[in-house]
Amino acid sequence: MQSVKDDCFIVEGKLALPYQYFAGRTGSRFLISLRDKKIMGLKCDKCNRVFVPPRTLCEQCFSNISENWVELKNKGIVTGFTIVRYEEPYQTAKPPYILALIKISGSDTPIAHIVKGIPLSKMRTGLKVKAVFAKKSTSTIMDIDHFRSDEKPKFELGFTYDELEVGMSASFTKTISETDVYLFAGISGDFNPMHLNEEFAKATPFGTRIAHGALPQSLIAPVLGMKLPGLGTVALEITCRFKAPTYFGDTITATGEVSEKIEKKRWVRMALTWTNQKGEIVAEGSALVMPPAPMPQEM
Amino acid sequence: MGNRVAICAVAQTTYERDKWQHRFQGMALEVLESLLKQTGLGFSEKNGIGMSISVSDDIFDARTISDNAMTDVLGAHLRCEEKVAQEGAQAVYYGLAAIMSGHTDLVLIIGHCKESQAKSRNMVTHLAFDPFYTRPVGMDFCVAAGLQAQAYAEKSGILDEHLADVVVRARCNAANNPFTPEIKPVSKEEVLKSPMLADPIRQLHAYPVSDGAVGMVLASEERAREITKNPVWIKGVGNCMDRFFLGDRDLASNFALKKAAQRAYDRAGIKNPRSAFDVIEISDQYAYQNPMWIEGLGICDEGKGAKWLESGGPDKFKVNPSGGMLAGNPLILGGLVRSAEAALQLTGQAGERQVKDAKTALAHGVMGPAGQFHSVIILERD
Repeated sequence: MQSVKDDCFIVEGKLALPYQYFAGRTGSRFLISLRDKKIMGLKCDKCNRVFVPPRTLCEQCFSNISENWVELKNKGIVTGFTIVRYEEPYQTAKPPYILALIKISGSDTPIAHIVKGIPLSKMRTGLKVKAVFAKKSTSTIMDIDHFRSDEKPKFELGFTYDELEVGMSASFTKTISETDVYLFAGISGDFNPMHLNEEFAKATPFGTRIAHGALPQSLIAPVLGMKLPGLGTVALEITCRFKAPTYFGDTITATGEVSEKIEKKRWVRMALTWTNQKGEIVAEGSALVMPPAPMPQEM
Repeated sequence: MGNRVAICAVAQTTYERDKWQHRFQGMALEVLESLLKQTGLGFSEKNGIGMSISVSDDIFDARTISDNAMTDVLGAHLRCEEKVAQEGAQAVYYGLAAIMSGHTDLVLIIGHCKESQAKSRNMVTHLAFDPFYTRPVGMDFCVAAGLQAQAYAEKSGILDEHLADVVVRARCNAANNPFTPEIKPVSKEEVLKSPMLADPIRQLHAYPVSDGAVGMVLASEERAREITKNPVWIKGVGNCMDRFFLGDRDLASNFALKKAAQRAYDRAGIKNPRSAFDVIEISDQYAYQNPMWIEGLGICDEGKGAKWLESGGPDKFKVNPSGGMLAGNPLILGGLVRSAEAALQLTGQAGERQVKDAKTALAHGVMGPAGQFHSVIILERD
């Protein structure tokens, strides 16, 4: 039987028309400056606004501002962004890439451009960027090849609240030596003979000297503060229940695992365990921590 | 307003991903024949349709002045014809002006678009940008929407979850709309797992590519009374064109929509938009636009879109019972499809998506990067 779709023909076609566009007098001057690695804006003194891309008339008061050029810095700040993840033939960067609105320092009207030099997940408004000029001029806005993050973080902060997930864990392991115990006695002022006097210790239920409980307990500090969540974390509460003694020479592993995300406060609860080389649990507990906030601008 | 103008009949094809077996002329013909049948009108010089308005996009049609080789199916052969290439809602404005001015008393509007013809819709919207400053960096309407969505989410506290709810609801409503047969319901999880296009916009947040045609007949009050028992009166139209460069605008401010809405409300004599409409049809091309345009229309407080969604605003205010633009219609037809949909509601012809006793409706169209241009139409039945 003949269907309505039989003997149908589809014709391939293409619209392709080379063009020449006049950039305008004002636009031309902007593009010529750009070729010389200078970003120029036009200022309306009346409205106290600097426009990029430039325009002959102020869009607010319609004053002719075409001669009132100001040279801007080759730097700016991101006022908005998106991450382009689909591919189209006209794109000049390979997806995924960041397309942002960038307010050039000294101007009031952000321009759209590509931002590189920052992980996609760390992208944010407020990022300081600098223009990276193209090696070859095309006399378009692409004489700025892209903008690059202009922030060198002094420190790599740990996981933020949003990056943390329940089940993430980290640990730190260290062998507790006699030296550690003696130094800890000095640090804490706890010269209890059960830690320092072998003869006394023989008479205790442990039969030999043991480490201060707070000594293995303290091994959780490098986990919370330097690994998970990591730098920038504030510990709000740490609880610990001792289950077994730590003898000199024991190798203690302190482990923290994210057990709960407290959305309201944006705090995280962590389950803590301390184990020795035999796999015995030395102590258990929990911690409440405030993970680092995203990197502040000045860092 | 002086002379009253009514929508007397509406017609549309279904909206589908690829109507490859229909030429756009064929789709327009389907609409024309339905409208002539519904109204019994013809093209006599004496008392027939006096003006045809085509809504079409040259780039999507892949030919310039794309209306000139299809005047027969636009009801414009040897007749008066106009073309709207901006946004479908503008054809309603044109028709309204033509009738109110007394130049004609019957206007036919037919819009068509086959988005499927182009290799990609983004390649078409990319061409809307200037060749010096924005096109070279790869701008298109989807990127522009991503920038706006990010700004709006920051302002209104809209989360991925909210956007998923918007899509789930739109597709659920679309199941009641016979003109969107291909749109299947999705679960919230499916939306949340849908790949990102331009953060925070996911694939399922974007209106589907579609082909279709829509049309209507506008008439003066006198002619409307002859043609139909159920005229839908155009009470007020307002629009506003915002600045072109995205950086010149506050993308989360709804500047143009607020102006467009206020102009329409003033003309329609609406004081409180929150109690004025029985049904609202907005062109939500991307999920974030659903709450954002609602803020712009003054249906909820500025920056409170998330709260409005959480408190069941979309159902309470009967927003897009058709599924809206998220259920699919071609870019340029948005406002015209929404107007036709609103007219169906006001004449009790909306089938399973009918809002009971709907008397007043708002239809909205949008065009340009990140909602540069908005159009608001207020409709009312007797």
